[in-house]
Amino acid sequence: MERTFTRRTLITGAAATATMAGLGALSGCASGASGASAPLQFWQFYAPQSQSAPDLKAQNDWFQKAVGDWNKRHKQQVENVFIPNFTDPSNTRLATAFASGSGPDIFLISPGDFLRYYNGGALLDLAPYMTKEAIDDFNPNVLETRRVGKGIYGLPMEVEPLAMFYSVPAWEKAHLSEGDIPKTWDQMLDVAHKLTTQSQSGLVFETVPGYFQNFTWYPWMWQGHGDVVDSHQKPSFDSKAVTQALDLFGRSVATGVAPRTDPAAGDVPGAFANGYAAMWQSGIWQVAGFRGTQPKFDYGVFPLPTPPGGISKTVLGGWAWCVNARGRNPEAAAKFVVETVGSMSQESITRIYDWCTVAKSDMPPRASVDKMMVAKDAFKNPKLKYFHDVILPTGRGEPRYPPVVYKAISDAIQQVQAAGGNAAGQAQKGQAAIEAFMETYKGGALK
Amino acid sequence: MTGSTHTYNTPASRRAPRRTTPERSGAGKARAKREGWAAFWFLLPDSLGLLIFVFIPMIMAIVLGFFRLDGFGNLSFIGGANYVRMVQDPQFLQSAAVTAIYLVILVPAVFIVSLLLALLVQQRIPFVGAIRSALFAPYVISLVVVGLMWQFLLSDKVGVINQFLAAFGIHGISWLGDPKYTLGTVVVISIWFQMGYYMIIFLSGLQDIPGELYESARIDGATAWQRFWNITWPMLRPTALFVLITVTIAVITGGFDLIYILTGGGPAGSTSLLIFYIYQQAFLYGEYGYAAAIGSVLVLVLLIWSAFMFRITKGGRVDDE
Repeated sequence: MERTFTRRTLITGAAATATMAGLGALSGCASGASGASAPLQFWQFYAPQSQSAPDLKAQNDWFQKAVGDWNKRHKQQVENVFIPNFTDPSNTRLATAFASGSGPDIFLISPGDFLRYYNGGALLDLAPYMTKEAIDDFNPNVLETRRVGKGIYGLPMEVEPLAMFYSVPAWEKAHLSEGDIPKTWDQMLDVAHKLTTQSQSGLVFETVPGYFQNFTWYPWMWQGHGDVVDSHQKPSFDSKAVTQALDLFGRSVATGVAPRTDPAAGDVPGAFANGYAAMWQSGIWQVAGFRGTQPKFDYGVFPLPTPPGGISKTVLGGWAWCVNARGRNPEAAAKFVVETVGSMSQESITRIYDWCTVAKSDMPPRASVDKMMVAKDAFKNPKLKYFHDVILPTGRGEPRYPPVVYKAISDAIQQVQAAGGNAAGQAQKGQAAIEAFMETYKGGALK
Repeated sequence: MTGSTHTYNTPASRRAPRRTTPERSGAGKARAKREGWAAFWFLLPDSLGLLIFVFIPMIMAIVLGFFRLDGFGNLSFIGGANYVRMVQDPQFLQSAAVTAIYLVILVPAVFIVSLLLALLVQQRIPFVGAIRSALFAPYVISLVVVGLMWQFLLSDKVGVINQFLAAFGIHGISWLGDPKYTLGTVVVISIWFQMGYYMIIFLSGLQDIPGELYESARIDGATAWQRFWNITWPMLRPTALFVLITVTIAVITGGFDLIYILTGGGPAGSTSLLIFYIYQQAFLYGEYGYAAAIGSVLVLVLLIWSAFMFRITKGGRVDDE
C-alpha cells in the first residue's frame, strides 16, 4: 500500500527524529571508557602526540614504549591518553573527570595537587605493591611529600630543582664577572640593579599568581628557617623568615629591578636572547629549553642566594605517577605503575635513566638511577653536573598544602609583590587564614 | 454600592475582535490542534536543551550551595555555611567589589561609546561601510586572541604602547602588572572589543526612525541637539533598553577569557571578577559547593536586576502610555 506524506507530517517527523537524535547524542556523553576489560587509561601530557621537536618526540616515544612493554606481557592493557595543557591550571579536564566519577585509571600529579586528591580518596596506596628495597631506592626528600603514614600515593619520575639562571652577554655588558655572582639577597638586588636597563629586567621572580609562583617562593622562606606549618602541624606563617621572603619579592619590584609581569610571556631563553631579562629564578628544565631553542646562547647557573644567617635551600619539583583508587582495575594499575617506574628490575631502573637523560634533562628520583647516570657520564653537561653536585643536595621536596592554605600563601605573595603591601601584615593575615582552616582540617599532614 | 455584580467597561478599541468565522467550526479546531502539535514538536528540542543544560544545572547549583562537595564524590550537607563563609571571605568581597566597579564603569562606557559610534557611522561619510566593518571587526575575533594581542602590545618596558609613551618621556607603566592600572586596562580593552557589536544594534535602531521626523524638525528650525533629544532618543529607547540589559548580563557573566589571558585575576586580585573567582574555587581548589553558592548569589543578582529593568520599563514596552 502506498503511503503519502503531507508536508506537515514530514516536518513533524523530522522534528521528532531530531529530538530523538539529540537525546541519543546526550546519552553518548557518558564516559567512553567503560567495561572492565577495556584498556586502562593513563592520562598525561606526553603521548601519544605527533610533534617533531626532538625532545617532545623522545618523551612521546618513552611513554609509548613504557606502555608497550607492559602490554606485551599482561592481559590487562594500558593506553596512553594525551591531555593537552595538562599542566595548565585552566585545564579542568582532570578535575571534571573525577567530579563526574569517570577519572582516569592512572594519571600524573604534582605535589601542589596531592592533598586534594589524597583527601578526596582518589589515590591508591602503592606501598603494598613495592619491595622495601625499591621504596628505599627513592630519594626520601622527594618521596616524602607523596607519603601519608607508611602509604605511598605517587611515584616520582623526575626531580626538578630551581636555581638562578643568568645571561652572560648581559652580565658582560654591565661589566660584571663570575666574581660578582651574588651569595646574599642584598648582593642579588645590587647586581640586579646594575643589570636593569630601559628594556631589560635585572632580576625576574615569577609574577603570575598560582601554584607555580608559590612553588618558586618556598625556598626563599625556607632559607630563613621558616615554614608554613611547624612539625606539630601548627601554623607558623607569621614569622621573621616568611616576612623577609615576602619582602624580598616586594622590594625587588618596588626598587624597579624586577618586573611586574613575566618578560617574553615567561620564555626564559627567548627573554635572555632578546635582552629582556638578565637573571631569572627558574628550574632545571631550562637547560633543555636553552638546548632546544637557543643552543648557542651563553648562560650560567648559580644557587639561590641566602639572607643573613640563612641556609642554602632550593625546592625540588617534578611529576609523580598515581593510581585512581576508584578506577576500573586499581590493582592492575598499581602493578603497572610499580613495574614500570618503581621496581628494582634493571628494566625499570634503565627506564627512569632514559627519562632523565634521553627524553629530558632532569635529576634522578632514585639512588640506583643516580648511580647509573654517574657511571654512564650522564652529567658531562656542565650545567647538569652543577645542578647535580651543587644545587640538588640543598633541595627539599615541593610541599603539599590544601587549596585554602595555598591560596592564603598566594594572596600574601601577590599583595606584597604586586600591590606593595606590608610584608609583616600580610604574614599575619596569612597566619590567621591558615589557623582558621587548620582548626577544622581533617586529612593528610601538611609538609 | 449597587449590588454584588461588577461590570467592567473595557474600551472597545482594546477588546479582542470576536471571530465568528467558520474556522471556529470542527475543521478549524482540528487545524488548530495540528498546529499546536507541530509547535510542540518544534519547541521540544530547544526546550529540552534549556531544561537539561540550563534549568536543571541551575537548580542543582542552588542545591549544591548547601553542601560541601570535594569533587571526588564526597558530599556532606552543611546548611548555610557556604553563605556564611562568603560574607567572611575577604577574597569574595574583593571580587564582588571588583565586579561592581567593572560593571559601573563598563556598562555606561560601552553604552555611550557604541551609541556615539552609531550616530557617527549613520552619517553619509566617505568609506562608511569600511569604517563600520573596521569598528565591528574586534568582535569577530576570539577573546583569547584579543587577550594575547593586547598582552603583547602592553608588555612592560618593550611593549608597543610603552615604547610609544617612552618617546614622550613616560616610562615604567605596567598596564597589566600594577593594580593601579589593570582594571582600567581591562575596561578599555573590553570597550574596544564590545563597542562594534552594540554599535550595529544602535545603528539598526537609528535606521528604523522615519526620516520625515528629522525633515520636519529641520524645517521647524530644530538644532542638532534638539533633534537628538526630542526625536532620536525617544525613538531609540527600546533599543537602548535592550543594549542596557544585554551589556549588563554580558559584563557580569562574561569577561572570563579576557581576564584569564591578560592577568590571571591578578595582580593581587585586582581583576578577579566574581565569575573568575567562581572558576578558581570550583576547578582550581575543588570547592564545588562554595563555587555553587557564589554562582547562586550571582544568578539572584541578575534575576533581581532583570526584574527591576522589566518593571520600570513595563516589560520592555517603554513607549506604552
